[in-house]
Amino acid sequence: MISKALPYLRQLMGCLLLMLTASATAQTDSTRIRTSVNMVGFGTTNILDTYLSQEKFTGAGMTFLNITQKERPGKRWTTIMQQEANISFADDRAELTEEMEAAYSIYCGRYITLRLPGNWRLEAGGLLNGNIGIIYNTSNSNNPAQARLSLNVMPSAVVSKPFTLFRQQFAVRYELDLPLAGVMFSPNYGQSYYEIFNRGNYDHNIVPTTFISAPNMRQQLSIDWQAGRSWDLRVGYLGNYQQAEVNHLKQHIYNHRLMIGVVKRFRTVYYKR
Amino acid sequence: MIKTNILHSIGGKKAWTALLVVLPLCLFLASCVDEDEYADNPKGNLEALWHIMDEHYCFFGEKNIDWNAIYEKYRVRVDDGMTELQLFEVLSSMLGELRDGHVNLYTSFDYGRNWSWHEDYPSNFSDTLQRRYLGTDYKIATGMRYRILDDNVGYIYLGSFSGTMGAGNLDDIMSYFLTCNGLILDIRDNSGGLVTSAEELAARFTNTEIPVGYLQHKTGKGHNDFSDMEEQRLKPSKGIRWQKRVMLLTNRQVFSAANEFVKYMKQCPNVTVVGDHTGGGAGLPFSSSLPNGWGVRFSACPMYDVNKQSTEHGIAPDVNVQLSPDDLLKGEDTIIETARRLLRE
Repeated sequence: MISKALPYLRQLMGCLLLMLTASATAQTDSTRIRTSVNMVGFGTTNILDTYLSQEKFTGAGMTFLNITQKERPGKRWTTIMQQEANISFADDRAELTEEMEAAYSIYCGRYITLRLPGNWRLEAGGLLNGNIGIIYNTSNSNNPAQARLSLNVMPSAVVSKPFTLFRQQFAVRYELDLPLAGVMFSPNYGQSYYEIFNRGNYDHNIVPTTFISAPNMRQQLSIDWQAGRSWDLRVGYLGNYQQAEVNHLKQHIYNHRLMIGVVKRFRTVYYKR
Repeated sequence: MIKTNILHSIGGKKAWTALLVVLPLCLFLASCVDEDEYADNPKGNLEALWHIMDEHYCFFGEKNIDWNAIYEKYRVRVDDGMTELQLFEVLSSMLGELRDGHVNLYTSFDYGRNWSWHEDYPSNFSDTLQRRYLGTDYKIATGMRYRILDDNVGYIYLGSFSGTMGAGNLDDIMSYFLTCNGLILDIRDNSGGLVTSAEELAARFTNTEIPVGYLQHKTGKGHNDFSDMEEQRLKPSKGIRWQKRVMLLTNRQVFSAANEFVKYMKQCPNVTVVGDHTGGGAGLPFSSSLPNGWGVRFSACPMYDVNKQSTEHGIAPDVNVQLSPDDLLKGEDTIIETARRLLRE
């Protein structure tokens, strides 16, 4: 019986092999590398908002930062998204009045990668930045708070380089985001929020900005240490200097943070049939 | 030749790229947004206070005040050896020149103020007399004390606009007074609160959207840097609206948001303002602080009536009535009695 079935079995095996071969030649795949960084930081804050007070407020605060970068091996373009949430508490010189500041910022952009001599890697491109936040003064009456809402285009560059020290793998990274242009919300010089939102009276409240009227800047310097097989420990400095002078009002929030976090890289392979 | 051109081209692109990065960096470093700080000593605090008012106060023109002359008058009274109490006295006196109830200096030990807008006049309100009308079994809701008087007239006393008005509460109050012949709304000694509460209550007394005044704000540091006058309109409430006559009782202590309320009500039909001239206070106040931590409040946004006249100095009543010296002996409040008589007519 088996001898009679053998020819049929051979034909079946042949068909199966043919199918497998056919499907193998029809498959394509692509590999994506995703780098995910989660960090927390503490540091000092300096707040000025002349809509609320002529005084500057200094204190401390905390920042959470998430960076997700996606790239494809062999491709020069990478996509980056950064989310930053910050809260700070600050006092005036006399330590009698307090201001609280909280903000959420998102940065999305693309970089082109250039290999430089000495194993340096330069990523240059631009970010689209959105910010939402509030400054609250605990002592004021009809102007107790300032809403912060802005959208910015920021040229950005990142330089990085891996190196070995004491037989450990490290990498240094520096990112610089500069101001260019954007748009922001601001009350007019002496305009109350009651007039804007209860009465619906608009007066130059959506203001186009440039690097002259809103010279924001952000920089990060960090060192990664390959602490484990699949993760790195990152420590570094984050400086976020947001400032604007519009409608005869001045505002600045200077945050300096010492950051610590974890870097993880994921390789994903996509199959197409 | 071609290689050279390409190299020049690449070099030129790098130069432009560098310029686009370096130029904003240089501009950033050169253009930090900052504000000069005044010294935290008596002279520095006087300078800070004078400049805050100079750049933000909105009634210099309205009140014909020479703020530079006031600086010259008061700067000689300050020296760095003076005590906190002495400095407070000098700074409060300087602010007192503005004769504005919305201008205050806040410290941990005192509250600088000018209350001449009511202290220089009879009070025209007595809670002893009011108790003769309200009794002790009045109803209380949304900051109001109310009852029906024995001549079937509704009486509401509202002492402050500091709380929010509950729409449901106002519906219940209006329903309670449905069968009354008229309503007395007594806001004497109401020194203000939330302008939105004043709007909420006034909206119960009109069936149509009506213009009630104008509002401005400062657009710069100059004494005359103001926006155009924006019209204020009162929309009728979606809740129960009062359709019968209203007597609105006022005195000199009616100030700020309460003054605004009188301004709105004067445009509503069936409303008669009875009592004394209001105290005014038509500048929406903002706040700031001095180097030594003292707080300062000041009028920042002027408000006007429908004829574009400032209401900073108060609003005249339709029927000017004062409390009589005999009122306490008689146990009668002349202003309430006048309102009741007018409702009977």
